[in-house]
Amino acid sequence: MKNPYLPIPMVVKRTQVETADRMLRTLELGFLKEEDEKAFRFVPGQFCELSLFGKGEAPFGIASSPTEKGSLKFTINKAGTVTTALHQITEGQEMGIRGPLGNSYPIELFQGKNVLVIGGGFAFTTLRSLIIYLLQPENRSKVKDITVIYGARNPGLLLYKEELADWQKRSDMKLVVTVDAGDKDWKGKVGLVPNVLEEVGPASENTYAVICGPPIMIKFTFPKLMTLKFPNERIYTSLEKRMKCGIGKCGRCNIGHLYVCKDGPVFSYEQLGKLPKDY
Amino acid sequence: MSLNPATLDKKEFGSFLKQVMQTYDVIAPVELAEGVSAYRKIESPEEISLASHNTQKSAKEAFFPQSEVMFRYEKEGNRTQVTSTEEVNRPRLILASRPCDIQAFSLLDKVFSAKEYTDVYFLKKREKTTIVGFACNDPLSTCFCTSTGGGPFTREGSDIFLVDLGDAYLVEFLTEKGKALSQNEFLREASEGDVARAKKLEEEASKRMNVPVPLDGIETKLDQMLENPFWDRIHEKCLGCGACTFLCPTCHCFDISDEASQKGGQRVRNWDTCLFSLYSMETSGHNPRPSGRERTRQRLMHKFNYFPKNFQKIACVGCGRCILYCPVNFDIRQVISEINEK
Amino acid sequence: MMASSQEMVQQKIREKAKELLANKEVDLVIGFGEGSLPLRATPLFVRTPEEADRLVWNSFCDNNLATYIHKLSRFKLGIVAKGCDVRSILALALEKRFQPDRIVLIGVPCQRMVDRRKVKKAVKGEILRAREEGDQLIVEGNDFSISLKKEDYLYASCKACTHRNPIKANAVVGDQVDETPLTDSYAEAKEFEKMSPEERWNTFERESSRCIRCYACREACPMCYCAECFVDSSGPKWLEKGLAPSDLEFYHIVRAYHQTGRCTGCGACERACPMNIRLTYMTQKLNQEVKELFNFEAGTDPETLPPMATYNVEDKQEFIK
Repeated sequence: MKNPYLPIPMVVKRTQVETADRMLRTLELGFLKEEDEKAFRFVPGQFCELSLFGKGEAPFGIASSPTEKGSLKFTINKAGTVTTALHQITEGQEMGIRGPLGNSYPIELFQGKNVLVIGGGFAFTTLRSLIIYLLQPENRSKVKDITVIYGARNPGLLLYKEELADWQKRSDMKLVVTVDAGDKDWKGKVGLVPNVLEEVGPASENTYAVICGPPIMIKFTFPKLMTLKFPNERIYTSLEKRMKCGIGKCGRCNIGHLYVCKDGPVFSYEQLGKLPKDY
Repeated sequence: MSLNPATLDKKEFGSFLKQVMQTYDVIAPVELAEGVSAYRKIESPEEISLASHNTQKSAKEAFFPQSEVMFRYEKEGNRTQVTSTEEVNRPRLILASRPCDIQAFSLLDKVFSAKEYTDVYFLKKREKTTIVGFACNDPLSTCFCTSTGGGPFTREGSDIFLVDLGDAYLVEFLTEKGKALSQNEFLREASEGDVARAKKLEEEASKRMNVPVPLDGIETKLDQMLENPFWDRIHEKCLGCGACTFLCPTCHCFDISDEASQKGGQRVRNWDTCLFSLYSMETSGHNPRPSGRERTRQRLMHKFNYFPKNFQKIACVGCGRCILYCPVNFDIRQVISEINEK
Repeated sequence: MMASSQEMVQQKIREKAKELLANKEVDLVIGFGEGSLPLRATPLFVRTPEEADRLVWNSFCDNNLATYIHKLSRFKLGIVAKGCDVRSILALALEKRFQPDRIVLIGVPCQRMVDRRKVKKAVKGEILRAREEGDQLIVEGNDFSISLKKEDYLYASCKACTHRNPIKANAVVGDQVDETPLTDSYAEAKEFEKMSPEERWNTFERESSRCIRCYACREACPMCYCAECFVDSSGPKWLEKGLAPSDLEFYHIVRAYHQTGRCTGCGACERACPMNIRLTYMTQKLNQEVKELFNFEAGTDPETLPPMATYNVEDKQEFIK
């Protein structure tokens, strides 16, 4: 019997501050045991419980794509006890992960369809995983148009600035980066994500939408998707809820009869429509 | 090959157990204070208290302790050594668990041994434990096990089943695990009179269970009631403590925390309750269940709607502990009747 | 108090509630309703004059309803309050837990409440029915029916009570009662003082060892209202969430100390505990100290601020060594 509560030993390979306010930091973790690395198979959208012995555990979406071999990336928002400790961890230190946990973005459904990705703020983590995965040649050919709209409050708060710069140059995807308020160096778009979505006006026919962002962004963007005639069964989101075990036993993260850790975190809006507003 | 039942004279009970304890760790009801008992591992048969009513804390503790170390860790420089505490060394025996608590074990099985992930702590104990059930000759008026698919003499889930005949126990061997104890020298073959007496006690106990709680179709009823104003009033007197949850044989929510000291520590899981106001509080400050209304709804929906959706059984065994011990006399039977009338 | 006057009190409570609700002086009345078990009443929340007919008054109305103020302070409340409950409400008023004009106190001079655990010990078998007849308590089961003298089965905190009459109320329903307590008002504390330090520790350790961290005591107490209780603090983490004896003892000692100068001796904590843990001996001892040192009893004076929350240059200091 495999003990699902025992973390996989990992080593911190690199830590990097992502945002100007220093509240977001990306950890790059390497496997200590080869057999763990071989056995770790995941799909974009899944998450891991990051384990700091003595501090506790917290769930984080996997920001790296399964196509990026050799390490896993997680972007941590400094908010409480565990995340503060994760911000202080240094290269070479050992920690643990449990995973991959949860379900994933419905990649199989995207075959032959367009994909619209809408991200806000630091909810972009698993969307990075999804985009890099889809851009991989053998996957890119299976999907039609890829459109990404990503917004942050200001330029300093954008995640993955290097990747964004690379993606801007690509011809096999459309990327629109926007900020609520620019700064003196910002030459890009200024505007709220829901308005930019309306402006971009992607076709909803044969398109799947994946939207991840803070509640306020979702609240105003969702109606725009409705106006664009996206049906609920083709809009997916990744939910967050307070979690502990991550494997559907401790009872904490349920929304109705479903557990965010086990039956989610990825849900379609059709599914969510049938569940209590418990999130 | 089924074994005939045996009779154990009460005066031999201690000797019988001493022999059992040579092989098994015995977990039995122990009186913690006058009228207060719980299941504990005993060192000697004298500690056992088989009062006529059920324990406060249920036998669920034997498989799912309130506080359980999951692993210990030791730090040496950058490395951390982790040692799991999942192993169960000696076989165990739960003595005198009531049919309601035993029915709850099978409900907890569904959660802890769900296909994708096996909760090794729970399951390893389950595998290595023999369950001795104990019939309820005197069900309380607050017991409603018969409304949840059980009964005061329900043998399902027991490896051995005891019936209190007065000056002796009738001992039934129901499974292979149970038969392993049948060779105990303090047992004698049960007489026809013993068996008949047990049957009579069963009939009398069943007659006492005459006020059913209307649980049929409650899952479907609740499907339509998610936003019903019913929830606005029903929660008002609930204090939001954990008494019902921690005494309930089927509740299984837990918290995980690290207890750290200088060079090492342990990861521990502790019971929790969805009724605590901070249970679903997120670090951002957002609480999806901000008031007693949402929390009481969660607990009741989980027991009578969400759990059945996942596992086809309601998460209640009718033991009545929540009714007896709630500080404000929140009575789940009344709530169920109200739901039924909606 | 005769049973007939108990019925009169019940009637007056209903009338007052109806009046307050009909005149919209309050949005809801918190009182007691018929319990679903013998020897129980249950908190009842009444919003219409019709619902007010479900309010009851008897010797089983042992909850302290003041604890509900914290969750409902956005409403205009009418509260049925015994002498001890009134004290809690006055103490909460000084701690500014509600706007003074938002609560209408329906004060009830208390006949002392029956301790159902004591009654249970006096019989063999399950109690199926119980009723009051004058100064008697008739208790019946499947094969017994006995009449007990109510006075022999009262809560210790009720026997020690010196403020059974509401100190302040918008309306008092019932005749004043004699304030002479049936026991010394610090009887439990004095029993405890007779013990050696080792015996005291053994008592405390034995009682707290049964604790299951359900916090029924904390939730039942009107004076425990912190949005984040010290047990839930993670930074700093004062104690763990398990059953380590040191953690159980820490919780109980600190909770008792947080009541210093605030506890009104209502006994709600002990009555709420599902594991029958003794709790009032600790708070009574602390109350006794506060009385001796500061001549203060919580909730007995609507004006005097609690000593633990105030500072005066003339404060005694000889106990600081």
